[in-house]
Amino acid sequence: MQEKDNTRRKVLIGLTSAVGLSGIPFAATPFIAAWNPSAKAKAAGASVKLDVSKMQYGQQIQVAWRKQPVFIIRHTKESLQSLELTLPKLADPDSNQIDEPYKGINPTRSKSAEYTVIAGVCTHLGCSPKYHPEVEPKPWDASWAGGFFCPCHGSMFDMVGRVYKGVPAPTNLPVPPHFFKGSILTIGEDGGMT
Amino acid sequence: MSEMVGKLFGWVNRRLPIANTFERHLSKHPVPSKVNFWYLFGALASVVLIIQIVSGIWLIMPYSNTEEEAFSSIEYIMRDVDYGWVIRYMHTTGASMFFAVVYLHMFRGLLYGSYQKPKELVWIFGCAIYLAMMAEGFLGYVLPYGQMSYWGAQVIISLFGAIPYIGESLELWVRGDYYISGITVSRFFALHVVALPLVLIALVFLHLVALHEVGAGNPEGVDIEEYLDDDGVPLDSVPFFPYKVLNALVGIGVFMTVFAIIMFFFPEGGGYFIEMANFEEANPLVTPEHIAPVWYYSPYYAMLRAVPDKLGGLIVMGSAVAILFVVPWLDRSKVASIRYKGIYSKVALAFFGISFLTLGYLGTVGVTEVRKTMSVICTAIYFAFFLLMPFYTKYEKTKEVPKRL
Amino acid sequence: MSVKNNFKIGLSIRNLIIFATLFLCINNISAAEGGSCKDYGECDEFKYSLNDMASLQRGASTFLNYCYGCHSLQYSRWGRVATDLQIPEELFFENLVFDKSIKPGDLMTGSMSKEKSAQWFGVAPPDLTLVSRVRGDDWIYSYLRAYYEDSSKQYGVNNLVYPGTAMPNVLLALQGNQKLVCKDIPIIANNGGEKRDELGNTITKEKCGYLKVEEGSGKLTKDEFDELIYDLTNFLVYVGEPAKATRERIGWYVIFYFLIFTALSALLYREYHKDYH
Repeated sequence: MQEKDNTRRKVLIGLTSAVGLSGIPFAATPFIAAWNPSAKAKAAGASVKLDVSKMQYGQQIQVAWRKQPVFIIRHTKESLQSLELTLPKLADPDSNQIDEPYKGINPTRSKSAEYTVIAGVCTHLGCSPKYHPEVEPKPWDASWAGGFFCPCHGSMFDMVGRVYKGVPAPTNLPVPPHFFKGSILTIGEDGGMT
Repeated sequence: MSEMVGKLFGWVNRRLPIANTFERHLSKHPVPSKVNFWYLFGALASVVLIIQIVSGIWLIMPYSNTEEEAFSSIEYIMRDVDYGWVIRYMHTTGASMFFAVVYLHMFRGLLYGSYQKPKELVWIFGCAIYLAMMAEGFLGYVLPYGQMSYWGAQVIISLFGAIPYIGESLELWVRGDYYISGITVSRFFALHVVALPLVLIALVFLHLVALHEVGAGNPEGVDIEEYLDDDGVPLDSVPFFPYKVLNALVGIGVFMTVFAIIMFFFPEGGGYFIEMANFEEANPLVTPEHIAPVWYYSPYYAMLRAVPDKLGGLIVMGSAVAILFVVPWLDRSKVASIRYKGIYSKVALAFFGISFLTLGYLGTVGVTEVRKTMSVICTAIYFAFFLLMPFYTKYEKTKEVPKRL
Repeated sequence: MSVKNNFKIGLSIRNLIIFATLFLCINNISAAEGGSCKDYGECDEFKYSLNDMASLQRGASTFLNYCYGCHSLQYSRWGRVATDLQIPEELFFENLVFDKSIKPGDLMTGSMSKEKSAQWFGVAPPDLTLVSRVRGDDWIYSYLRAYYEDSSKQYGVNNLVYPGTAMPNVLLALQGNQKLVCKDIPIIANNGGEKRDELGNTITKEKCGYLKVEEGSGKLTKDEFDELIYDLTNFLVYVGEPAKATRERIGWYVIFYFLIFTALSALLYREYHKDYH
């Protein structure tokens, strides 16, 4: 009799604790979810549109998308050709190590053959790299062929944001989702086609 | 591995009385073996306190304490923040439930004499908690900066104006502006989320320490410390764990069901928990047609309106709360529980309960001649219950209290 | 528990509740005030149905076509409305959003400047995001159907629910000309039945203040118009609290959970209770 009582007790303890504990994740859900970006943040972080036809060849501009710098570069023919030169210096020329959205479409890494669209945040520790398009010897590289140099910790990237070997930054600068409609570039949206 | 843990625990325990405190106040703490549902509300109050603290912390994050954004930040929480509505309704429902539970807890005290010697301090700390809660609730209600926030605060702050000589400058000082503006909201926010919660938690701690020193009561009013076993544990007691814990668990289950029904199906509580006018942003130029406090203040609000004098009203309202503090010295009865008190006490308590509920109702509706008269009568009964207590408890015939539970 | 014990508790608690209820009843009787819808009397009852997407979609369409010109929904976002009402975003933005520069994440801040509208109407048309929570759905449903012809007013109309309202009857063309009329109604005798004369005919008296639409003056029949207002009110209930339908759905699960938890802990408590009884 005593034995039987104990079984009932154990089963009930087990059931009650199981039900009680199973409630914890549900109770925690609203508190965890409340830290997600709100609808307001998402609205503010929606896409940005700009007309890139007014850019000069070789010019780089910076726009803010989600309050983060995004670089847009309009390449000259020469600078696109010079990409070949730096190839041996690159750590990951085909962007295999990152999630590259428009892989193998254009050498610019973007959806356009002329413009490059990359996040302007160094993949090392988050500084914003500087644009140095000149092909000339630099303090950080005697055979500099144009690209981005990060003043914080000396990371180097080529003209389309691919990282050099032997620098602190681990990966290429990522390409944000974007699409071109005529001369209007939209950053933050894919435009439905990849 | 377990040896390591054991060693670590031993090291800490040598320096911090964990095991001892745990045994003394939780696992082996003796509680009366026979209590009824009235003895659950203390545990429920601590559950709501935790709900309020957690949901409150999460509400601070998206809330904005400025005049321009306070109101819209509430709608931001309700719409734009994922599950923000869950957290806000948890807090608003929690506020009402906190008062409901505490009112029942206090009524239990009156019913079974939970303030009698040696529990005076437990009762006094309890009354102080109630007072702090009233302030906390009021300050919190101002934060959404809706019409009821504004005009409710306007009325309450104007009460300070009733104080002779310094009244008017005190009003201005509290507001920090010529109307209830952003700086007032900001001050109330600081008090609501930091200062008063600290006070409340400290008082709850003292309430519990004092309670554990003198031991919990029971509906019979029997002193269980009279009959001890060989180990000095009262014969009519059970250890807190698991018996009291399981008992409380059932109560918490029922309570949370009620809580969920209100929170998910009636969060506005028919306009009593969140008043309809508070969905309109504060407008210092237009008073809503009908101003009523939230239900938990309404008995006192009715008393305030029963008195035709500003200062008099304030004094009556203040005394109504203040008189609770001295109840331990008003009750002269030889017995604690209503079960063994005489007929006078029973009638007095019944009349008190009715008049308090009636005042609660009267405080939520508009004034008419009949209602005003009723408010006066009920206020008189409220005070008579306390002021006559020394007499009717002393001269009535009480019944014999049993020795054991 | 003994009967005697029961009686003791009964005296203090049960009687108290009975007394309190009695008191409240007396109070309620003495508290007879006018209806909550002013001259209209009691508001018509409204029962929302937030899972009826077709109704909400029609309501949204009515709102955006007839009301949004003056009234904003400043806490609500376009995209959220489309998503919640299950309107495909493209369709929604093509047919219901007239300003093409609007993005889904934008707030529905209205298309009219507050100063200009205050000039036109004397007061700025209020934002209606929370109107269903401030006034209640019964009120909106009654108000929008209680316009009547009154040539003494600026726009030639007045409202029984909101006498002297500043808003013209925007839906006049749909509803038609509504007028206040008088009707012969039976007199109710003291015993509750209709009063009759010696011949058994019902005695009537003329009573005024009834709303009646001039037949054929509006595009919609009375029932169609009532339905239009139902949908519109339903939409305003949704906008007042977009999470309401979700809230009520989740609520059932939470209650169910706590009932199971309570039942289990009660069983466990009873099990342990045996130890000392």
